[in-house]
Parts: sequence; structure tokens; C-alpha cells
Amino acid sequence: MTTDLVYHVAGAGLTGLALWRLATCRDALRRIMALNVLAIGIAMVLLASGFDAATGRTDPVPQAFALTGIVVLVSVTAALLALAERIGGRSND
Amino acid sequence: MIAFDIVLTLGLLACAAMALTLRDRTASIAAFVVAGLLIALSWVRLAAPDVALAEAAIGAGVTGALFLRSARRIGPITGGPVGGMSASIAAALGAGGLSAALFWAFAGTSGPVPYPPLVAANLEASGVTNPVTAVLLNFRAWDTLLEIAVLAVALALVVMLGPAPVVPRALGELVLPFARIVVPLAILVAGHLLWQGATAPGGAFQAGAVLAGGMLALVLAGIGPAGERIVRGALLLGLAGLAVFVGAALAAEGLTGRFLGYPAGAEKAWIIAIEASLTLSIAATLCLLFTGPVRRPHQ
Repeated sequence: MTTDLVYHVAGAGLTGLALWRLATCRDALRRIMALNVLAIGIAMVLLASGFDAATGRTDPVPQAFALTGIVVLVSVTAALLALAERIGGRSND
Repeated sequence: MIAFDIVLTLGLLACAAMALTLRDRTASIAAFVVAGLLIALSWVRLAAPDVALAEAAIGAGVTGALFLRSARRIGPITGGPVGGMSASIAAALGAGGLSAALFWAFAGTSGPVPYPPLVAANLEASGVTNPVTAVLLNFRAWDTLLEIAVLAVALALVVMLGPAPVVPRALGELVLPFARIVVPLAILVAGHLLWQGATAPGGAFQAGAVLAGGMLALVLAGIGPAGERIVRGALLLGLAGLAVFVGAALAAEGLTGRFLGYPAGAEKAWIIAIEASLTLSIAATLCLLFTGPVRRPHQ
């Protein structure tokens, strides 16, 4: 059993967990959090598949993809949270 | 080290499960932030320190702060799960099946990968020695340009929705000494991350996130000017990153005739200049995504 295999399991596990919660949750905030976990799980799978156990290095292209994904994810999260507050919030609107 | 990997993986899966199942909002968000930090640690183990830095600063830090802010406004979780026990089991089976298929598809792949040799062969010409920065700002700069456009669109959406602004509350006597240490430190660390991104792990996104953290510490402590003009200035700064990047792309096109192909010999200057403006722009954008825009008087 090698390092990348462990993280493949983690990535697939995070993805499955997030998909299950996305399907069964009604709460908007929880769903946005599940979306975050889903994206992180996919990034983990990408990074683990780019990892070369022989040299101990990771392919820079999936790394750049994961980095781009993190930044896009935070902007999507902020926009979705603003929408969720608008829908279900009890703010003084 | 394999034992460490397995324990780390179990820990992060447990934290993610807690984040997605606990009914108390604060506990759930705390578990989410801890999961984010453990994921950053696991990415260090996967030899991806650039991504780990970004995940720790943005994925755990900024996203956690955003969740905490919204959790307070939306209120506690009400209502049960969708469907009954059978629906939950069916969803678990479906998700488990997809997860197993994902594992099978990716863990089973092997054979030569074309990218690392290509990146290594062209690294010399890219102007920087950190391969991730080379991919982000030279080889695939188009992706990064579009990513900045996504940030600008999210900022525009948040400005249009106009969420309630964050109103800082008086936090006690230790805030000022804390901010006096943290804010200058954040500026120094951001500058360091930006500059060393050319040769070592770091870069515009990590630097921008650290700078945003420093700015948020100022905002939450209620220190410093927070008038409408400052927020409008931050908004312009947030959109300026996209403008500078597009301007640089057009200028490079005019100079070399290649799309985002920087003039030979001056690649590093171009990359650092673009990254410096992106750092300020990302910091301003992340800060505004958290605090929200100025509320208009009639609202």
C-alpha cells in the first residue's frame, strides 16, 4: 500500500460523503458546505493521481488545477452564501 | 510514514463527516475548519505545498469565516432530512457506488504522464523556477485569467445582492495590541509569499489570502477608516486585478504576437508585476466578499 493509494481512498471517501449529504440535506448552509467538501475531494483525487511515488514529486499541472479550483470555490461559496442569506435569512431586510 | 498517512486520512474523513452531520452550526463549522487544515497537511504529504498553503489560507480560513458569518444570520438548522430512512440509504448506496467508481477509475490508471517532462523542459523559458507558478502564470495563464474573471463576477454578484454589512462590535482591550502585531506581520508575510512564489512554494493567491486575513482583522476590530469611500476604493482595487491582467495579455499580444506570450528575457518581471496586482486585487476581493458592500441609504 503506497502513499498515493491512501489519499485516493481519502479523496473518493470525501466525494462520496459530500454527495450523500448533498442528496439528503435540506439546509442551504449544509449543502454549500457539502459542495466545498465535494470540490476538495475531487482536488485530492487529482493531486493523488499526479503524485509520483518514485520521485516523490507531484505533477504541477493538476496542482495548478487544484489551486485554481480553491480560488473559484471560495468565490462560489461567497456568492451562494449571499443568496442563502437572501432566501432564508432573518436579517433586517 | 504510511501509518501517519492512514491516521491523517482517517482524521480528516472523521472531521469532514462531523462537519456534514453535526446539528450545531458552530461545531459543524469548527469541524470543517479542522478538516481543511488536515487536508492542507495531507497535501504537503502529497508534495503539493503551493496548494496546501492556499487550502489552509483560503479553504479553511476565509471559507470558515464566511460560514461563521452566514450561520449567525441564517440561524439554527430547522427541518429534518429529505425523505425518510429508505431515501437516506438509497442516497448512501448511490454516493458510495460513485465514490467506488471514482477510486477504481483513478487509482487504476498508470503509465507515462505527459506533463511533468514538458514542464521541466520549458521551465527555463518561463522566467520562474517554481513549476506551479510557471504553469499558473505562463503555460496556462489563460486559465488563471478566467479564474480572476470568476472572482470579479462573484464580487459583482455579492455587490448586487447587497448582504447585510458586517458590523464590528467592541472587542476589548487586547484587540489593538493584537492588530498591531498581526497586521504588519500579515503584510510582511504576504510580500514574502508573493516574491518567493517565483522560486519556491507561494504566489499571488496565498499572498492575497494572507493580506485579506490582515485586512479582516482590522475590519473586525473596528480599527481604521471604514467609510463608504474606503469600501468603494476596495471595490475598484478588487476589479483592478482583472483589468491589469487583461491589459497585460493585450500588451503581450501586441509585443510578441502570441497570446499571453511574454517578451523573452523579461518573463519574470511580467509575472511578478501581474502577480503583485493580483495579490492586492485578491485581498480586496476576499475582504469585500466577507464584509459585503456599503448598504445604500434607502435600504
